Amino acid sequence: MADRGAGDRGGFGRGFGGRGRGGDRGGRRGSGRRGRRDNEEKEWVPVTKLGRLVRDGKIKSIEQIYLHSLPIKEYQIIDILIGPSLKDEVMKIMPVQKQTRAGQRTRFKAFVVVGDCNGHVGLGVKCSKEVATAIRGSIILAKLSVIPVRRGYWGNKIGKPHTVPCKVTGKCGSVTVRMVPAPRGAGIVAARVPKKVLQFAGIEDVFTSSRGSTKTLGNFVKATFDCLLKTYGFLTPDFWRETRFAKSPYQEYTDLLAKPTAKVVHVVEDAEAA
Amino acid sequence: MSKEMEFDANEEKLKTLRVSSLDEEEDDNEAQVDEIDDPDLSTDEDEEGEVHPVTLGFVEKLKNKWSLLRHYFPSKAGGTPAWLDPINLPSEKSSLCDFCSEPLQFLLQVYGPLTEESTFHHESTFHRALFVFMCPSMACLLRDQHEQWKRHPEKPCRSVKVFRCQLPQTNSFYSGKPPSEDGTEQPLTAGAKLCNWCGTWKGDKVCSSCRKARYCSGKHQAAHWRSGHRLACTRLQTSLEMSESAASNSLWPQYEITIEDECEFENEMSDSEYSNILVSGNRVDESVRSLMDDFAGDDDKRSWASFQERISRAPEQVLRYCRSAKAKALWPVHSGRPSRSDIPACNYCGGTRCFEFQVLPQLLYYFGVQNDVDSLDWATIVVYTCEASCKGDEGYKEEFAWVQLVSQSAP
Repeated sequence: MADRGAGDRGGFGRGFGGRGRGGDRGGRRGSGRRGRRDNEEKEWVPVTKLGRLVRDGKIKSIEQIYLHSLPIKEYQIIDILIGPSLKDEVMKIMPVQKQTRAGQRTRFKAFVVVGDCNGHVGLGVKCSKEVATAIRGSIILAKLSVIPVRRGYWGNKIGKPHTVPCKVTGKCGSVTVRMVPAPRGAGIVAARVPKKVLQFAGIEDVFTSSRGSTKTLGNFVKATFDCLLKTYGFLTPDFWRETRFAKSPYQEYTDLLAKPTAKVVHVVEDAEAA
Repeated sequence: MSKEMEFDANEEKLKTLRVSSLDEEEDDNEAQVDEIDDPDLSTDEDEEGEVHPVTLGFVEKLKNKWSLLRHYFPSKAGGTPAWLDPINLPSEKSSLCDFCSEPLQFLLQVYGPLTEESTFHHESTFHRALFVFMCPSMACLLRDQHEQWKRHPEKPCRSVKVFRCQLPQTNSFYSGKPPSEDGTEQPLTAGAKLCNWCGTWKGDKVCSSCRKARYCSGKHQAAHWRSGHRLACTRLQTSLEMSESAASNSLWPQYEITIEDECEFENEMSDSEYSNILVSGNRVDESVRSLMDDFAGDDDKRSWASFQERISRAPEQVLRYCRSAKAKALWPVHSGRPSRSDIPACNYCGGTRCFEFQVLPQLLYYFGVQNDVDSLDWATIVVYTCEASCKGDEGYKEEFAWVQLVSQSAP
């Protein structure tokens, strides 16, 4: 069938839509495309404008993206900006089941926390038929959900910020997690699960208090994540000053030379098009 | 009927029984709320339904100078179009952006003959090419978005235009034999003279001083004058003016589009990684649901996820071709999709239009477009062509293009 199709056109390129081998045109492509079978090394071709900016290296830090609340739709953006320092950990693999007519269908749900221990955490949850897929998928989701975490002081503002700036609380389901600033050296006073998340966030000292069914790990982890999300949402006197608006990354790199100057346009008017 | 109900009731009991016998914690909320008709099955169905094989297009740098000339029937992106029918080019009115009246810029062309295996193959579709043009201004594209939603407008105003041209095997422009693969082939007739600046449209107007340089519009004449013709004009350097390449420096870089079937890549990645990553939203899990709520719109996220998954098999693709009545485009964003009735019927034969191919935003990356606020950015351009590929008169027929933009708002 394929040969007949090519034969009918008698050597003309098959173009799009023809079935069968591409003849000369198709053969040329063998080197780059099909040779490499490993997915990891596929070069990233950005699909969004933000991705293109990051790929070109125009955006140096992730803070520029956070400042303007731009949606991050490609996880490679995070990889490029803070990827090297990002650590990830699988919190739990939980088998979940669904009843079907033919028995049960078991899938695995993976909870993954990523963070660079310096103010950025992300949480990813993914369910899949295989454990490895679930873990891989949840790492990607976690990278997409990386948020900045605000740290502050308990008392004197000496040294680097080490604790949450104020008392914050986060809720998910029935679980509420409350974080209270702690003096240096207190360490993270929390249960095993939120302790991991807070370590990834880069918070050194904090007192926590939780309520609700903390046995549900999904909700517990999500509640601490929600709590960390709120640290930058809390208005403190430092923010009273009027904001000086910065240029969005899209605006910063306008090509100013693209526009012709008025002088040149004037000269043109002498010539006529017939 | 009653038997079925009984069975269901038993199933319910069985369900609860089974779940509690498991030692794993907190499966209760999972199992109770799961529904039989769950979205996972439906996503599977969607994937099953897509049995139409998709052909992907990739951009590649030009290997030899001659392979993108029109008598080699290329598929290319950027640069100047290799017009299939070199004489009966589109009229000047249709070559302009309807909003800013600038001549449109060549985006890409696809050589897609209808072969024996397709339903609407006839002699006149032995050679068939589709040309996509768009205005490089984002402002026009935003206005175009409003226009494309209008059904039956009196005067269609678009800034993205697609032209279709087809020729039988024996025609007056090319020999009936396939071109030789060594660059020596020549077309039977010289084409119409093209504009010196853009190299795209017919050059009907001439420069008034030297009467040699041709232009398609006053704007291009002005641009060429500014950027060097002013000096060259008086010297009447005809050889330079008549050179093949366009003088404009704002054309998009030229690439050849090479073709691969998508199934070649399917073997490499058997898992559907992405599509279920962000789609687990319907599984009633509190943590996932609240995670989903943080992002804008379940549907948008789901479309984006399945879009990412599909293209991750071959991330460098710029074109997806699947000409079939039931073929569906791969939509990156949920909002802004046309329904059946949004796609107008063919202007020439009145028949329906079907999906033919779509252009992906990776092309913008390869073109190296600027990433300013007002620079060109789209999520996908989907082209619908006449299903019967009607013959009509000679020349180029307009087809319908649908542009989908990324949602501008923050999450």
